[in-house]
Amino acid sequence: MNYVVRIGLLLLLTTAAIAQNKQTISGYVKDVANGEGLIGVSVYVKEAATGAVTNNYGFYSITLPQGQYNLVISYVGYEKQTRPVGLVEQNVRLDVELKTESRELQELVVSTRREDDNVKKIEMSVNRIDVKTMKRIPALLGEVDVIRSIQLLPGVSTVGEGATGFNVRGGSIDQNLVLLDEAPVYNSSHLFGFFSVFNPDAVKDVKLIKGGIPANYGGRISSILDVRLKEGNAKKPEINGGIGLIFSRLSYERPFGGSNGGESRGSFIIAGRRSYADVLAQPFLKGDLKGSKFYFYDLTAKANYRLNDKNTVFLSGYFGRDVFGADFGFNWGNATTTLRWNHVFNNKLFLNTTAYYSNYDYTLDSDLKRKPANKNDYFRTNSSIINYSIKPDFTYFLKNNTLTFGGQSTLYDFQPGTATAASAGDVRTFGLASKYAIESAVYVGNEQQVSPNLQLQYGLRYSLYNFIGPGEAYTFASDVPLGRSRPVAATRVYKEGEDIQTYGNLEPRFSAKYELSPSSSLKLSYNRMAQYIHLISNTTASTPLDVWTTSTNTVKPQIGDQVAGGYFRNFGATGNEYEASVEVYYKWLQNQIDYVDGANLILNRYLEGDLLSGKGRTYGAEFFLKKNRGIVNGWISYTLAKTERQVDGINNNNWYATRFDRRHNLNVVLLYDPPASKRWSFSATFSLASGTPGTFPTNRYEVQGQIAQVVGARNNYRIPAYHRLDLAATLQGKRRPGRRNEDSWVFSVYNAYARKNPFSVYFRQNTDNAGTTEAVRYSIFATIIPSVTYNFKF
Amino acid sequence: MGCETVIEAKLDAGPTQLSVDGWITDKPGPQTIRVTQTAQYFDNGPAPAAVGATVTVTDNLGKTYAFTDPDKDSYYVWTPTAKDTLGRVGRTYKLAIAWQGETYQAISVMNRTPTIDSIIFVKKKPNPFSTKEGYQAEFFARDLPGGNDYYRVQFWQNGVLQNKRRNLITVQNAAFRGSADTDGLQFIRPIRQSINPDSLYALNDEVRVEVQSVNADAFLFLQELAQQIGNGGLFATPPANLATNILNTNPNGRTATGYFVATAVRTGSAKVVAATIRAQ
Repeated sequence: MNYVVRIGLLLLLTTAAIAQNKQTISGYVKDVANGEGLIGVSVYVKEAATGAVTNNYGFYSITLPQGQYNLVISYVGYEKQTRPVGLVEQNVRLDVELKTESRELQELVVSTRREDDNVKKIEMSVNRIDVKTMKRIPALLGEVDVIRSIQLLPGVSTVGEGATGFNVRGGSIDQNLVLLDEAPVYNSSHLFGFFSVFNPDAVKDVKLIKGGIPANYGGRISSILDVRLKEGNAKKPEINGGIGLIFSRLSYERPFGGSNGGESRGSFIIAGRRSYADVLAQPFLKGDLKGSKFYFYDLTAKANYRLNDKNTVFLSGYFGRDVFGADFGFNWGNATTTLRWNHVFNNKLFLNTTAYYSNYDYTLDSDLKRKPANKNDYFRTNSSIINYSIKPDFTYFLKNNTLTFGGQSTLYDFQPGTATAASAGDVRTFGLASKYAIESAVYVGNEQQVSPNLQLQYGLRYSLYNFIGPGEAYTFASDVPLGRSRPVAATRVYKEGEDIQTYGNLEPRFSAKYELSPSSSLKLSYNRMAQYIHLISNTTASTPLDVWTTSTNTVKPQIGDQVAGGYFRNFGATGNEYEASVEVYYKWLQNQIDYVDGANLILNRYLEGDLLSGKGRTYGAEFFLKKNRGIVNGWISYTLAKTERQVDGINNNNWYATRFDRRHNLNVVLLYDPPASKRWSFSATFSLASGTPGTFPTNRYEVQGQIAQVVGARNNYRIPAYHRLDLAATLQGKRRPGRRNEDSWVFSVYNAYARKNPFSVYFRQNTDNAGTTEAVRYSIFATIIPSVTYNFKF
Repeated sequence: MGCETVIEAKLDAGPTQLSVDGWITDKPGPQTIRVTQTAQYFDNGPAPAAVGATVTVTDNLGKTYAFTDPDKDSYYVWTPTAKDTLGRVGRTYKLAIAWQGETYQAISVMNRTPTIDSIIFVKKKPNPFSTKEGYQAEFFARDLPGGNDYYRVQFWQNGVLQNKRRNLITVQNAAFRGSADTDGLQFIRPIRQSINPDSLYALNDEVRVEVQSVNADAFLFLQELAQQIGNGGLFATPPANLATNILNTNPNGRTATGYFVATAVRTGSAKVVAATIRAQ
């Protein structure tokens, strides 16, 4: 590991030496309306034909020879600014505030933020969705949803509607690193999988990285979903809210702290949502249902405070829970807290240090209401995963190079399950001991402009995982037929802090961009990712009760290698009216977990004996065409893909399609702003996807009066295709002169032509006639779902 | 949540296999082992009999019991002479079947079973939305202390076996599978109350309950069966073939399906009358 650090320092010192006798312009770019730092803004120096892009905190830095320059600061959706700068003997600090464009100009969609980012930026396999766009896409029951929105992007799919999480380029759902202000979120869903945990009123930016993943990210092998929260309006108090069919939302944001030249030093936002079906239903619940609980809520908050020009601190948090049940019930939720410190050492060196805490836990209780009658008979169990992490990230801006380096260290506390059971007054407490691990990483990366046409990004990450005591390590019998549960053979007990198993992985990352013309480019990337934690789930859709577990002496870390290539082109009016891209990728996955038949995944001390390990291959092509402007804008994405696994002990050791394999996946998003109407706007989305695979029976036989199935090969059939049309219309309230408040009505229709889309097909005995077998198509939503939402802001 | 529609499906058929449904008990009277063939999945009607098989059970003391099927209906029966019973707790039984040139074997140990102490009834609504009331039965039995014991519970309403998908009740010690160390406890309440039909019992109904011991591997087989026949919806698991202990003595010969189980049975019965009804 040491040599990585040494190489990093060496690179830093040599490049620093080269960069002498030049001056630097640096500063923050913010939104004039609310003081939010803007991410990914282009700062272009006309005279030098060079430029920079603001980082995740809105900070940029450019080093130039002395002279007179004009900086062009541009960002899609904002008015362009040109600022003259004289670089003489001193470095210049230039903070810029951008103003949003008026409605007529700002019809932007998903987005790379600079108009020509699609072609000019080195990053590939990256999609951003604007919160503004997200709010216009028709949503299930009118609830604007981050996870459902990204499923409209190329390369992203789901095992079925209503399922938790998402699959990126053939990866399983636990292979996505979902970050909320840099803290991982272990379950991104409310109500199983119908709604996601991100409150749209508090979200500022959503970025999905599917490939060419830079060295500063690690820990999952498929993708990074980087969700960043708003900082809160730094100019004036603001209240946003809404009333929908599922949630009521309210958020409040405002500046605070001493004013400094008209601008406050800090700001905050606090946003909450709660479902209220239970409140409305309560008077109607009688008898055993009285006191039933079914609700979910979340609270998102963030504050920032600028100590001085060089130091800013951010504190953000999320807390959400789902509670369901009458007598028997569940209760689960995430909590995250992130503390960040931005420090500008000088106009070239920027440091962000993040410390976070993340917790996901669930409880299952047979006696939610704690009735006296149940005091002798009950069952309670809970499970959790807790993280503490610290992560310094440096950015060093140099001429033609942007160097990033840093590290991360995370302490994991896995609690796989404890339980208390009482039967006729006898109480037994039992459960599994917590497991502990430390995941560490160091990385260095550089983005280099080699020539005007060629840009490279390369880096190396070294990750190190220690599965540590106190705990037990098991070895399992090896003389068991493949695919059957292996009994434990030996147990070894480890003391606190003792190493049980160590894994280390070098993770090289590389991207290249070659500009064929000002409007087209070719990009290539390779990355290796390592993942040390695993979600244990053998159901079609993941459940909130699925447990995250550590790599151990027998469970090896998952490794993913990906190569991707693409052609990117912009065209049309102003050269950037349309963006198009074609990308192809191939991924190799190692140490993919699968399960023996009849695996016992709950409260099983010897769980590892029921796990199998295999490999995966997944490949595909993604086509994306987006229209950025105009009365009608939007995008079309089409993905042709295949994802397979090979696990010894499953399917006679042959390759098989994964449960979320979809050959074709087409999404169309259309936004329409009729010029004749100042108040109405419309949108439509259409999705079409191949049916997912299913394992169907071939024969039957009778045992104990039941009909058992003889099944064929794993995932040997496909269920029918999926397609759905959603529509939405937004009516802006009348703006009254002199009044700040705004409001709008959103009317939406989900599944507009009421298709009974199959989630799965399964086989069973007829309920009334047990001798008759039948095939059953199961649909989550079998009807049209209309909704109306009222939103306000003042 | 969700909506089910019965649809047409075209399925390939696999090769025909021998299928065994063999539960022998320590109860007095004849013992039956059903030997059939697998059929195409949508072939409704009784499973085709495996006619002409030689079926024997031999215990670890070397005593052999011959099972025959003179009426060729797939039910191979051993009938005791005098007061003989076949099963004894603690003995090991080996099933041998010769059919169509192949020989199959299976082994099962007859484990111990606790007795049923009592059965009581409480007046209740079968579900919170129901307007009618019925009598919910609860039986009391205590897991035998020490080791891991596995059981199946079956119940009869007025002499009729209740055998819907969810009536497949399996018990590990005093609770469900793997969930806990419940060795030696009273069966947990969800199991005690699992012996009820959908609409509960009516006054004067006769209820009979059996607790049947099974081996650990047979318990797993029943678990897999319960999962397979109840599989579906959002949280389905990948369908898989059920385990079998019917093994061809020729490893390259045709495979078989099904299970051979030796089980010790303890029975309890009660009638829904004032003496067995408890206040809520």
